[in-house]
Amino acid sequence: MKKWQQRIGSWLSDHLELPSDVVLELPRITMIGQLHAYIENHRGLLLFSDNELRLNMGNGYLKITGSNFVLKMMLPEEILLEGTIKEIIFIDN
Amino acid sequence: MRHTQGVFFTGYVTIKVMGYHPELFFDLCARNNITVWNIKKLSDTECKGNIKLKDLSSVTSLRRNTIYKISFIEKNGLPFLTAKILFKRPLVIGLLLSILFVFFLSNIVWDVKVKGVHPELEKRIITELNKYGIQPGALKLKIGSPGEIQQQLLNDIPELLWVGVTEKGTTYHLEGVEKTVVEEKEEHGPRNLVASKEGVIVDMFVSKGQPLVNVNDFVEKGDILVSGVLGKEKNDKENDKEEDEESDENMVEAEAEIIAKTWYETEVNIPIKANYEVLTGENKKKYYLRFGDFLLPIWGFLNPEYENTEVESTQKTLNFLKWELPISFVKQKIQEKELVNETRTTKEARTEAIKQATKDLQKDLGHEAEISFENVLHERIDNGKVKLSLYFTVLEDITKPQPLSQGD
Repeated sequence: MKKWQQRIGSWLSDHLELPSDVVLELPRITMIGQLHAYIENHRGLLLFSDNELRLNMGNGYLKITGSNFVLKMMLPEEILLEGTIKEIIFIDN
Repeated sequence: MRHTQGVFFTGYVTIKVMGYHPELFFDLCARNNITVWNIKKLSDTECKGNIKLKDLSSVTSLRRNTIYKISFIEKNGLPFLTAKILFKRPLVIGLLLSILFVFFLSNIVWDVKVKGVHPELEKRIITELNKYGIQPGALKLKIGSPGEIQQQLLNDIPELLWVGVTEKGTTYHLEGVEKTVVEEKEEHGPRNLVASKEGVIVDMFVSKGQPLVNVNDFVEKGDILVSGVLGKEKNDKENDKEEDEESDENMVEAEAEIIAKTWYETEVNIPIKANYEVLTGENKKKYYLRFGDFLLPIWGFLNPEYENTEVESTQKTLNFLKWELPISFVKQKIQEKELVNETRTTKEARTEAIKQATKDLQKDLGHEAEISFENVLHERIDNGKVKLSLYFTVLEDITKPQPLSQGD
């Protein structure tokens, strides 16, 4: 059932040009160089430290590594991360 | 970013969360719609972040269900700042006192400068001003407006032709113009005195010149009363050559006072019904502080029970340093007034008319003229008015100088 839903979602975003983050409920990450990362549509914080941030996503999690991390703002589904970002890795479950 | 905007004014608290994976507590907060920002991990078990002051109670109630411990590190923002300042009472009192002091100093006179007059007069002006209470150190509230000062000074120092008073902040600048008293030249040269109007001579006082008329003579306008040429008959007999030389000696400046009885006819209109207002002398003073359009009474709260009132108010603006404050000090004088409706009888109207006409005549002829009422020539009532034609006799000086030309 879920797979079927996902398939329809990707078809919709492909053919009707609907924004995929809305249709597929995926995180949208906006970055300004290495300085900021603005992550919307996440599913909760898993881990945060000075040099690592893990966010839950629908399937798997997002791992951001770097240094001097500060969470500039935290809202229910949005996070603004500040610091020096080195890597962004998507890890599937 | 708008979530944390204006947070300085509402106040915010920096909290430290202690426990295993402390960042998860902030996540919990975020999921409960509590904005958290500037989250920083201090160590493996410690994490700090900011929350709004209004969210504080919900954060503490959230914490109760968890194993985390919270400590407050910093309190920031205006609510805490004001509380902190107010806690330092001596500072606040000192600040208020100093503002009051500056305010007080801005409203007293610091200097009076007089310009444009010689030192003697300057000193007189300053002593006069001192009498009015204008001197360095005086409260400006008690001092009248520059216009009033100007008028008072002009009345009290007759030597002043004009004085300009300007109020510049805490300084009064006065600029005076002195009257240059020019001695009137008494020498007019030889002259005759002629009659300025027709009349019957009642009295004559001739101090110089040869009188050509007598008491009880009727004179027409332009008749020579006193001649400036002395010994005319004698002069005629002398040679023509001598006349030229001697004419200066024989011609004098005639001086005399000739009182004659003259006649005047005047017309006066007097309304039968008269409405006028009279102040009874009862009054009450009220003081206000004025903020824009709002008047805050500071003294005199009760309204006097006068039926008709006449309100006279004076306003004084307050200054702070060089600025005028939107606050002003208002003094109101409420005076009782009485409306008088009077219906005159014809007789009363007549006496009133005579009184008025006499006053008008006196004004025209000067205070030396003696006016006596003779009779009413004509009387008519028209449109609620009494029209009167009055006849007066006046005793007055009718002399008018007429210079003798020396050309011939």
